[in-house]
Amino acid sequence: MIKTDKILHLKSSRGGKVRVVREHYLREDIPCFSALCLAGCANADGKVLSADLTHYVVPDAAVVRDFLEVLEFRELRGIVFTQTACQSVQHSRGRRQYNRLRSLLKDPRHDCVLFCNEFQRYAYCPREKGEAQDKWQTRCVYRAAVWYFDHLVGLKPVVMITEDPAAVTEYSSLNAGVYVISTQEYLQSFWPELQAAQELHGSIAQALQERESEGQERQYTEHLPAEVLEAGIKSGRYVQGTLNVNKHRAQLEAFVRVEGSTNKGTELNSDVLVCGAKLRNRAVHGDTVAVELLPRREWRGRNTALTEGEAEERAGEEPQSQPMPTGRVVGILQRNWRDYVVTFPPRDEVQSQSHNSQRILVTPWDYRLPRIRISTQQADALQGHRAIVRLDSWESTSLYPNGHFVRVLGKAGELETEIQTILTENSIHVAPFSEAQLREMPVNPWQVESGEVEVRRDLRDTHLVFSIDPQGCEDVDDTLSVRTLPGGAGLELGVHIADVTHFVREGTLTDLEARARATTYYLADRRYDMLPAVLSADLCSLLGGVDRYAMSVLWQLDAQTLAVKKVWFGRTLICSSYQLHYELAQSLLNGQEGAEPAELAELGPAERGQRLADLREALRLLTHVARQLRARRDEGGALELEGVEVRAQLDADGNITALVPRQPLEVHETVAECMIYANHWVARKIQEAFPHQALLRHHPAPRQEFFCQLTDSAKALGFSIDTRSNKVLADSLDRALDPEDPLVNRLLRMMATQAMSNALYFSTGALPLDQYEHYGLALDRYTHFTSPIRRYADVIVHRLLTAAIEKEKGVEANKALANNKELEALAHHINDKNRAAQHAQKQSTELFQCLYFKDKDPQVDERCVADAVVYAIRANGMLVFIPQYGVKGAVYLKNREGQVVSVRQDGSCEWESGSLQRYPDRISTSTTAGTHTFCLFHHITVRISVQSSRCHADRLWLEVISSRPHRAAPVPGAGQGAGHGRAELVQEVVRWAEEASQREAEGRGAAPKLSREEREFRQSRGPNLYTLLQEIRELALADLSSCQSAMPQPGPPPPACPTSA
Amino acid sequence: MAGLELLSDQGYRVDGRKPSELRKVQARMGVFAQADGSAYIEQGNTKALAVVYGPHEVRGSRSRTLHDRAVINCQYSMATFSTAERKRRPHGDRKSSEMSLHLKQTFEAAVLTQLYPRSQIDIYVKILQSDGGNYSACVNAATLAVIDAGIPMRDYVCACSAGFVEDTPLADLCHAEESGGGTSLALALLPRGGQIALLQMDARLHQDHLDTLIEAAMTACKGLSDVLDSVVRQHLQEVSVLTRDLGVCFSASPCISVRKPPALYLL
Repeated sequence: MIKTDKILHLKSSRGGKVRVVREHYLREDIPCFSALCLAGCANADGKVLSADLTHYVVPDAAVVRDFLEVLEFRELRGIVFTQTACQSVQHSRGRRQYNRLRSLLKDPRHDCVLFCNEFQRYAYCPREKGEAQDKWQTRCVYRAAVWYFDHLVGLKPVVMITEDPAAVTEYSSLNAGVYVISTQEYLQSFWPELQAAQELHGSIAQALQERESEGQERQYTEHLPAEVLEAGIKSGRYVQGTLNVNKHRAQLEAFVRVEGSTNKGTELNSDVLVCGAKLRNRAVHGDTVAVELLPRREWRGRNTALTEGEAEERAGEEPQSQPMPTGRVVGILQRNWRDYVVTFPPRDEVQSQSHNSQRILVTPWDYRLPRIRISTQQADALQGHRAIVRLDSWESTSLYPNGHFVRVLGKAGELETEIQTILTENSIHVAPFSEAQLREMPVNPWQVESGEVEVRRDLRDTHLVFSIDPQGCEDVDDTLSVRTLPGGAGLELGVHIADVTHFVREGTLTDLEARARATTYYLADRRYDMLPAVLSADLCSLLGGVDRYAMSVLWQLDAQTLAVKKVWFGRTLICSSYQLHYELAQSLLNGQEGAEPAELAELGPAERGQRLADLREALRLLTHVARQLRARRDEGGALELEGVEVRAQLDADGNITALVPRQPLEVHETVAECMIYANHWVARKIQEAFPHQALLRHHPAPRQEFFCQLTDSAKALGFSIDTRSNKVLADSLDRALDPEDPLVNRLLRMMATQAMSNALYFSTGALPLDQYEHYGLALDRYTHFTSPIRRYADVIVHRLLTAAIEKEKGVEANKALANNKELEALAHHINDKNRAAQHAQKQSTELFQCLYFKDKDPQVDERCVADAVVYAIRANGMLVFIPQYGVKGAVYLKNREGQVVSVRQDGSCEWESGSLQRYPDRISTSTTAGTHTFCLFHHITVRISVQSSRCHADRLWLEVISSRPHRAAPVPGAGQGAGHGRAELVQEVVRWAEEASQREAEGRGAAPKLSREEREFRQSRGPNLYTLLQEIRELALADLSSCQSAMPQPGPPPPACPTSA
Repeated sequence: MAGLELLSDQGYRVDGRKPSELRKVQARMGVFAQADGSAYIEQGNTKALAVVYGPHEVRGSRSRTLHDRAVINCQYSMATFSTAERKRRPHGDRKSSEMSLHLKQTFEAAVLTQLYPRSQIDIYVKILQSDGGNYSACVNAATLAVIDAGIPMRDYVCACSAGFVEDTPLADLCHAEESGGGTSLALALLPRGGQIALLQMDARLHQDHLDTLIEAAMTACKGLSDVLDSVVRQHLQEVSVLTRDLGVCFSASPCISVRKPPALYLL
């Protein structure tokens, strides 16, 4: 090693310049990470550039800084990032961009490496006196490129790409074999077929150019420098937090959610309000900002009235008069910009906007974002299209942020475009599984490997294993077994879960993809699987009558007390004897004649009787055990917040013939209980084995003040709800039952769930022991273990459990487990993705609702009139729930002209001038015709119409047309109504979309339908039977949407159930 | 600007070292003639000078005299030009007196003080340039100076700092790493027996990591002791060559101290 000194000039904390001397050691053993290396570099660990490329490419620092997005294309291979370039990204683009580069370097799917050129003795060049930083960086990168070429003894030509034309002329003729060309030229000559990359490059370059020629007039105050902000936050002068823009008043109101308790002096216990665009000072929704509080006399309150066309979903807010802390943004600590979907305006608007039609203002789909200025030449072609843009900057001289155009999604209003919009807005990336990933799949037909038989416990002959799932289920995650142990002293209960980790090894491409997706995504008409269908529907699925690998938990229970005597965890080999469905299992249990699993049909009568008796006995035992477990948990205070589920009845062709509300069968609860029990025991096991790095799931106890709405609403009906603990809450919810209106209890439970926070994954090292508990299930430890096919958290838990078993056996783990920090990061990632999945599902449901009502004339069509229940009162209207369609929305009692709804004798309503009076549990309108009062939980009739919007999602608009219930409850049961309406809705919209696309295809001359290729890549769409089934189940649940955090999961828990237990 | 990345994903530190590598060490003994012992050391860009006087009789108040062993008196100071911004107060502030105390404790553990009852040994250390690891540079310089002064010790005392970044222990921190906000531990070791003369850590560290961190620091100290040992041997060789050559000139003079090689007067 050679020691040299590097002299830097840095800014000190007080703002002055300091000359700093740092040592800089140069060495010769810097690996080159190329497969062609002949010099014996230590390339063993880490990625290696493949040898089968035509060239290696070395991007200049400026290219990496500004055009990293272009380099992210997976088609570009053989990229050598220099340390100089990486450091330049870190220093001038901030942590976020740098992390993006780091993850790019770590991702095994990208063929790129980092070369530490500044530590390599022969590639390093010190900065000369008076040399500009850019020049020096370019020189360093060029030197590195030359070193690379020489190091590989000229085996591979090296191309350096730069944005600096001077560098091209200066360096291009110096060395044969090292070419220096501009980025644009490179893309054009080497990747002519990669049109997208060239477009993106052009778009970014244009955005950069525009930025240089910015206007001068200042529109906003400058942000304070980072050092000042940091010092200010420490001293308590500024408050740090995440900016949340109010969706309904995006221009005016934003709140800063304060982080941590660093602000002791300011007694802040609520969010900080930021009013107006000037005070928001260029912060965008989601950014981490520093705010300065305004003096108390300038504090303002938030608005509580319903805004035009919007429903406000927040409970328990202060009235407008009460001022809250108000502040202004003084600086931005971290931008959290993502990809945004925008809509291009029609041409006439563009021309009125500016003389230069190159730059246009586009409107984001998300209400919370300001309009974005982008420059593109395709504005004409893209009128009325939705596209993805990225934000680049927001200078203080500009009213709007600058962005650049990335990719077109399609025409606004088309189903496919809208679905893509929803996915993009939730940052969900679900590309089809790649060739390389599918190549990792085991070959089908697949057989049990003989090596595995020896290491696994074989339960094929000893245990009666069966699964209970909804009818038609393809991915069977879980199976059960129960038997009396010889001697009769004990029972053995077994839960066997699909052994996904055997097929999905850590670090493989499939694993990486599953990790990135984190869950299977369920939208209203399709689903995106976490694992390729080969695994999820076949090899991992514990189907009946075939040998499968499983991960098992076996409990030895005392026959009388059911106390656990022994637990065994481990890998097993099982063969499920019966693949039952819930109804069949229930009728077997009830001893009904004629109920018989299909597996027995071919046997002789004697044997059939014997086997049937065995199965019945097993089911009876299982139910007995589950009852006891449930009773034990009820004592602890487990909550039941489940909604009504709907089941589809199918005919022989798999068409849905009818929808019946799922009978709340005891079997459901039995299976759910076993799964909860397994999850609980696995949680205990991994937490004991790895006290600092186990992945668990907790559900924090809710704050009491959030229950206000629930208790107040219940009081209006004469029920008292006690919320002091989960036990008394469960009891009082059970008592609050209105015999005349079953919806009341459902709405109350909905409010209860709304008051609770979501259950979350966490790493045990990150939280103190007393925060592990699961409030909803009343368990001290809980995790997810039972559905590895569609949740990545379960895959992690499986790996942890395997490691725990190996640790017990004394086997050294061949690979270190994720440490606490990594696991916590992963838990955050999974939580984020789950939230995104919920949002996407909710938004897609709303989309379908709108599409359903869009082509119906609200004045004429019978289906647009529905019965609704009032569940909350606001200053100028009320929030209602429509059970028939499962829709929640706002109903206004006062319109823009200041008129209010007046009710006539026969209950019909019309607009008249008058006044409104709001009380906690009712709202009354008084006009010349008289006074009418709307109370909580009253039924009214509403008309549903669609409010279209060009740039945003369409919305449903509700209008009260009568104060009486609609036709005295037209449908027999609320649950059935919900399911029916919704299923019909989805089917109709799918049909509509398919017809539309077909018509279009015919018009254009038979272009192949998009869905075909998608099906090829195992992304199920539309007409898949199982998908439909699942969706209908979910839709029924989704109307209790956003809540359900504490719901115990039935069998294969409703997959997209927003916040599963 | 984002915070400095102390350990890159490729396993390099800011200055290009691997986690367990030390900075470049250069040392010289006997740099001054008037003092009984002196030494100069460079560890990377940290430069320290140590001077030893004694053993001599206790100066100042007699009450400090110990009847079974020698008193060790240490003073630490930093040159005003040792940091990027000029220091106002070279010594006597809280940090310096604390450092003096630490040095005193370290050398009381290493020097065979019972051989010199009722006497005093003075060790003066000055940091000429500071770039992290001041304590360890001082201890190493003082060790060489004590050896130069011919005072018997149990073993070399070698000191080294170590830090902990992203679950990896880093040996011999430079200033950028020390001020980066992570944990830093200073350890003085008697390498042959493996006894720890002093261990100091101010920041928080999880108990699970302490052993690995101490282990890393001890390995670094052993590496340093090899370097110091070779410096001493080299010095002895030079000195013995010189004494042999010049022995004739000095042979008549009886006043040459046994402890003090005469060659040093010439250097």
